[in-house]
Amino acid sequence: MTDFKQKVIIVPCSGIGKPYGTVSREAAYAVTEDLRPAQTQLVPLALLVLGDEDSRSVVAENPAITIDGCKLACAAKMVRQSGGTVAQEIAVLDVYRRYKDLKPLGIAELNEGGQKLARVLAEEVTTMVDGIAAGKQGGENA
Amino acid sequence: MPELPKKKVGIVSCSGEELAEGTVTRLAALKVLEQLRPADTVTICLPLFLAGGEGDRAFAKFYPTIAIDGCEKRCAARGTEMYSGKPAASIVVTELVAERGIGKPEGKRRLNAAGQQAVEATAGQIAGLVDELLHKHWNRTAGAVEELDVPVVQTPVQATCSCGSGIPVQDILVNGQTVTLIALPLIFQQLHEAGKPASPDLAKELLDTVQVYNPIPAGEESAYAAVLSSEYAAFCNQQGAVK
Repeated sequence: MTDFKQKVIIVPCSGIGKPYGTVSREAAYAVTEDLRPAQTQLVPLALLVLGDEDSRSVVAENPAITIDGCKLACAAKMVRQSGGTVAQEIAVLDVYRRYKDLKPLGIAELNEGGQKLARVLAEEVTTMVDGIAAGKQGGENA
Repeated sequence: MPELPKKKVGIVSCSGEELAEGTVTRLAALKVLEQLRPADTVTICLPLFLAGGEGDRAFAKFYPTIAIDGCEKRCAARGTEMYSGKPAASIVVTELVAERGIGKPEGKRRLNAAGQQAVEATAGQIAGLVDELLHKHWNRTAGAVEELDVPVVQTPVQATCSCGSGIPVQDILVNGQTVTLIALPLIFQQLHEAGKPASPDLAKELLDTVQVYNPIPAGEESAYAAVLSSEYAAFCNQQGAVK
């Protein structure tokens, strides 16, 4: 990854109505703070809604991975509307369907299943980040 | 006039993931929605004003809304005003924290003690504003509070999920133009439940009710009334005979 100059932008869902939104945020934090802090940057949806120039510029100049908590896919839609490129998009529900034993509960604080699901999701996003950085455009779950 | 959705207050938090104060807005909004005022509040995801449909964008016109922001950029307040309607009230966590002498919130994923204190203070302030707004009259046509002492009917309802808060809308064709009308499905449903059959006499009531939530162009009232009558008749046919 040494020759990859761009950051991979991570844009999670900002929903507060369901545990899936919380899972998306936890996964985004895990990637940007723990797993790939040097290669990634978190951009909040609220700034894109407002049309914040710095955020739009970052999104326009770097590939983005969006993590959506529901089928409305606000994160993916907002990145596109902000002039960005969604290199990979992932939905928490799709991951949950593959890990049915990790049922997320709780919004303010996730249960153990939710935390584990967030970790699994974060690892999949990390694979995507590495794939983008290596010029492969993505991971196995695209 | 039919009683449309019971009066509630909309909460829109910035949810800003890059700041601990954003986490404060999220947790404070949740505390109000789930614990402090679950029957009186509803929320929507801020991005839905752009990523959603007309019903989502009608949110702040339909509900008096409190915007909860983490910082002075005021994404929730400004975004709501730009795409939906002017919030009836607004809170900025950094300002509230300074006013109350609370320490700086830290920890986006897990708030420190000051952050938790900020959540309590913010939630308390939101709840107070909810109470204030519920005792004022929200004019949905103007999208503003009116200083009237109007009695409010309340019924306990579960807090609505953030992605299900959009106001139902329906497209109709008037003079060859497709027009999206806010709340029309609810108006039809409630007239039907009130046992009012489709008839020429109902056209005026239909138009008056629709006009509360939607602007009707001058001179087109008759055309709208005719289409609304026709659409309501079709709705009644689908639903079966009125009760």
